[in-house]
Amino acid sequence: MSLPKETERLVADPAPGISAAPHEDNLRYFDVTIQGPDGSPFQNGIFRLELFLPEEYPMAPPKVRFLTKIYHPNIDKLGRICLDILKDKWSPALQIRTVLLSIQALLSAPNPDDPLATDVAKHYKENEQDAQRVSREWTEKYAV
Amino acid sequence: MPRRVSRLHFILFQLNIAMAESIEETSFFAGYEDETELENTEELIREAQQSEAEEPSDSPAPSRQSSEPLFLPESDEEDESGDVSMIVDKVSERSKTVADSEDVIEILESKPRSQPGTDKRARSLSKVTSVSRKASPSDPVVMEPMVQRPAKKPRLSLEYTEELSDSPFESAFLGAFIVGNAWCTVKGKGYIKPGDEICIERDEPFTPTPARAEAKKVNGKKGTKTKGGKKQISIATMFKPPPTKFVKKKQEAIVRITNRGGFEFGRLPLDVATWVSRLLDLDIVDFRGSTMIDCPPTLHSGAEVIVSLSVHLKAAAFMRHTISSSQQPRHMFNEGQETEAEQNLRQRKAALTHLFEVLDLHPIARGSISRSVRGLNKEDLALLTKDDRKFQKSAKGTKTEIVGDGEEIEVEADVEELSENQLNLIYRKAQQNDTTMVERDPAETFSLTLRGYQKQALNWMYDMEASTDSVRKEQAMHPLWKEYAFPADPNIGVIDLTDERPFYFNEYSGELSLEFPVAERKFKGGILADQMGMGKTIMLSALIQTARTPEEPPADQGTSKRRQLRLDNKFRIANLHTPVKGPSATLIVAPTSLLSQWAEELQRSSQPGTLKTLVWHGQNRLDLESAVQQENGVDVVITSYGTLVSEHARSERMPSPVFEIEWLRIILDEAHSAKNRQSKTAKAVYALQARRRWAVTGTPIVNRLEDLFSLLRFLRFTPWSDYTFFRSFVTLPFLGRDPKAIEVVQVILETVLLRREKNMLDSDGKPIVALPAKEVTIENLEFSPLERKIYDSLYSSAKETFESWRVKGLASKNYTSILAMLMRLRRAVLHPSLVVSGADGGHTKLSTKNGAVDIDAMIQQFAQGDKSPNLSSAFVEDVLANLNAEENAECPICLDVMQYPMVIPGCLHQCCKDCITAFLSNLADKGEQGRCPSCSYSPVQEADLLEVMRKKQTTSDEQASTLTFTLRRNDFRSSTKLDALVQNLRRLRDQDPCFRAVVFSQFTSFLDLIQMILEREGLAWYRFDGTMDVKKRNDAVSSFKVTSREPKIMIISLKAGGVGLNLTNANHVFMMDCWWNSAIENQAIDRVHRIGQEKTVYVKHFIISETIEGRVLEIQKRKTAIVKEAFGGKGDSDSMENLKIMFGDAR
Repeated sequence: MSLPKETERLVADPAPGISAAPHEDNLRYFDVTIQGPDGSPFQNGIFRLELFLPEEYPMAPPKVRFLTKIYHPNIDKLGRICLDILKDKWSPALQIRTVLLSIQALLSAPNPDDPLATDVAKHYKENEQDAQRVSREWTEKYAV
Repeated sequence: MPRRVSRLHFILFQLNIAMAESIEETSFFAGYEDETELENTEELIREAQQSEAEEPSDSPAPSRQSSEPLFLPESDEEDESGDVSMIVDKVSERSKTVADSEDVIEILESKPRSQPGTDKRARSLSKVTSVSRKASPSDPVVMEPMVQRPAKKPRLSLEYTEELSDSPFESAFLGAFIVGNAWCTVKGKGYIKPGDEICIERDEPFTPTPARAEAKKVNGKKGTKTKGGKKQISIATMFKPPPTKFVKKKQEAIVRITNRGGFEFGRLPLDVATWVSRLLDLDIVDFRGSTMIDCPPTLHSGAEVIVSLSVHLKAAAFMRHTISSSQQPRHMFNEGQETEAEQNLRQRKAALTHLFEVLDLHPIARGSISRSVRGLNKEDLALLTKDDRKFQKSAKGTKTEIVGDGEEIEVEADVEELSENQLNLIYRKAQQNDTTMVERDPAETFSLTLRGYQKQALNWMYDMEASTDSVRKEQAMHPLWKEYAFPADPNIGVIDLTDERPFYFNEYSGELSLEFPVAERKFKGGILADQMGMGKTIMLSALIQTARTPEEPPADQGTSKRRQLRLDNKFRIANLHTPVKGPSATLIVAPTSLLSQWAEELQRSSQPGTLKTLVWHGQNRLDLESAVQQENGVDVVITSYGTLVSEHARSERMPSPVFEIEWLRIILDEAHSAKNRQSKTAKAVYALQARRRWAVTGTPIVNRLEDLFSLLRFLRFTPWSDYTFFRSFVTLPFLGRDPKAIEVVQVILETVLLRREKNMLDSDGKPIVALPAKEVTIENLEFSPLERKIYDSLYSSAKETFESWRVKGLASKNYTSILAMLMRLRRAVLHPSLVVSGADGGHTKLSTKNGAVDIDAMIQQFAQGDKSPNLSSAFVEDVLANLNAEENAECPICLDVMQYPMVIPGCLHQCCKDCITAFLSNLADKGEQGRCPSCSYSPVQEADLLEVMRKKQTTSDEQASTLTFTLRRNDFRSSTKLDALVQNLRRLRDQDPCFRAVVFSQFTSFLDLIQMILEREGLAWYRFDGTMDVKKRNDAVSSFKVTSREPKIMIISLKAGGVGLNLTNANHVFMMDCWWNSAIENQAIDRVHRIGQEKTVYVKHFIISETIEGRVLEIQKRKTAIVKEAFGGKGDSDSMENLKIMFGDAR
């Protein structure tokens, strides 16, 4: 099982703006934080996520969810993320680190054409600037 | 000796009369008799007359007046051959009563034996015998008259009594017994009173027996020049062919009791009379001195009287006979049938046995033991004769059934099988004194060092060839005989010279003898039956080199005239005129797989140039005769059983040199190849001519006592080499669970067989063979989920079928089908593909109802095809260049260094094998197309993947090792067992870069897969199986043995390579599957674990847990598992029991 090795690397050599630490009592359960990327409405925010590796990992994708409230067209109010590599595009060659980096990238580039939170997506489509303002407000409100 | 002469004339006169009568009556009554008998009888008379004329004083033709009637009333068909001789022999007055007659009995002595002990014994028995022997030592005939009878006697016998008053043996008291329920036939007083002497007598014959004057042959040949006497009732009679027809008559068994006046007043009761009458008819006992114990004062018909019968054994009972059957007529090939003569003999035997029983006589020594200790104790006998139904089966023959997809199962149902314990018991006797045997050093040309026990064997074999006497010191009594002592005769007044004098009784033939019956051996050679791995080849090589002096040439030059018949010899006239030398060459017959091994071993064990060998086999068979018979010809010719058989078949049309040449010595290696006496192999082997014969085998008795017969036949070990004889005294008694059968075999073996086992200790208490340790481990493996699914479905459907048959009671009927199912299961354990290979239709049944998995589809899924296109070489180079760059690359999935990276051909991304296959099958489960985990390149199929083979190559001059890569398509589906094997081999390679391993499987189809996987691993493999011809096999073995710094693996089919092969250069053994019988597996392991092995041998069995294999192990452990095969019998209770284990509830 590659889990200890991957965890080890993740902890020892974290990607910039991302931290992930396994629970002591459950090595499959990670506390994750992602910094909002600069230049995005989520700048300066520290977002908390939870990540769980299922039995089948790495053959099956990890389960990831935002714990911090976020105003994003691809993330719903329960924190669920709409990201292809977490679903059908998953590959065992993708690691936790890659997944988290992908999520970070998703914050920089919301994709309202493939929405999860439909009202947020609609807002982003109709008035992107106003939507970004709400996102910034939420970031300051919940993630700072 | 004028009186003798006159008596002789008298006798002859009587004889002539009797002959005339007997001929007359014989031909009258015996409708089927012809002139032969007449001639025979006449010839006998003539002979008798001649003998009289030639040697009137020294050798009076013995004759006898007997109390017996000429024709025996009860003679029926069973008696004929015995009675025939009596007709000739009991030339007598046809006197009405016993009391009036006299007994004159002859004893025919054969040539005195050279054994001092025997001679002494014989002499002590009969002074007359020894006297006349002095007078004419070569004369086998000695007359031994004897007389007496309290009643009135004819003049002649009276004279005789006087003359020979100091003469010893007339009859000997044997004991007395009381008959409490004899009965009267008369009424009145005065006939008899208690204490009176009574006579016992047989009736006058009223139905003369058709005479069959078979006496002639034996008599004539032995030159006894007499009427032969009882000798005909000897083993000789057993070999007579059964009569063409005979008439059944009711047997009459009236025995009359008369008083001294000869008046009959009563009879013996029927139960006693039946056997007493027989004894009387045979004229081997008399009841003189019998007395009336109690009777009513007035007799009346039917009144019970008590009589005491005192039994005397007449000299006639001790007629000498030969143990050897060498002079028997050669027409005894109607094997297996019991002749009437045998029946007759048996009746005599039964009567005598009965008598001994009634008299409470017990043997003081038995034949089977060298007159010393008994070898078997009671428990042993119980074991040997235990009531085991197996022995009773009478099914015959071997049937080879094709089961399932082409694997053969031998369904052999045999008459009697021996358990391992029984075999051990049989051998034990022959091994008793072996530790103390003398050693002999081999000839100087022998280049190896022999171990102690091998030198002992050399000495034994040398002696067995040098003389015909038994090498083991003690004289063994002939196995069929037992020694008895005459009891003291309580009657005073009767000459009693019998004290301290033993006599011998053959419980099998009913023969009696005064001489010590020696188990004789007239051939040179024997059976070398050391356990395998003891170095039998080397011992024989030492023998060939040590005892190589040519023997005397044959007396007649008969061989040379035949030789001219051969066309090609016309051109070798020079050869024809070379002086014929005695046989000097040794012929070795061995299984084809061992021919070259023999040649190699012989060369290895001899100084260069001292032993010329020739392998005579295959297409280019040289001119054997010139090769052998010219000066400096070859010393050893090695040939195969197959060659011998084909030569034998051909020799009917054209003489074959191998059968023409008289060999100095023949060695049959793995002699059990000829264990079936009716096989072509056996017949060919019997036809060989040689001075010395050796049968070499680790299993002289494979599973039946009759296996031994064929070897004895080959050795020409008379009398056992006669099938009828062997069958009568070994096979049939064994079937009747008579412990004597085993004793007989033990004695046979003691005389001819040498067997040592690896675990035996030498005289110093050390093991005679010190082999390195053998470590056996069983590696329990777990199925992969898919394999488990496949196996379980197969298993449950097989079990269902079995249960349904069993409930209906059809299980034994469908035995073969069940075996086929088992076979499928055993293959499924090895590799699922093995179950579908070959469309045998057997698996159609297995597709299950209620929507269960389709097994075939699953297997298809398992063994995905190899249909992808070839790779262009440019592409391969590309990949290889890429690979070389990044050594120790990490698998993107497991993040470990890839041991065996797989390349995805489309995008050249790599993963380790396990990860990528797991991923792809994961996708397949979800119904998605395979893709590259790194770049999502699609489609990717498992069979398209390329495996990168890294091979370390160490060049000799520089220490640095370079890596080379090869690509290989991943079109091979491994299985749990194969993976385990590969892992073990990899580990081995890491530990020992030039290891040697041997891999056994019983399925050649699995060997194919093993071969493939070894190929993929880049391991050098050599294959040995039954389908390969000799040359290929030899090549395989010899190249496997060539030293090199590469690992080498030999893959062998269990059946083909189980015997003979010597693979001591390897020390790792892998058993891929398990056989029903662990003995077969051990035999296979012993290819490696045998003399010459210097390292510890590691044996690994691969067993998949929770499969049929566990059951097989269980059966291996079962005590009832017989030597050969758990499923040997056809549906007998034992096999069914085993089947139930196979389909027991636990999985």
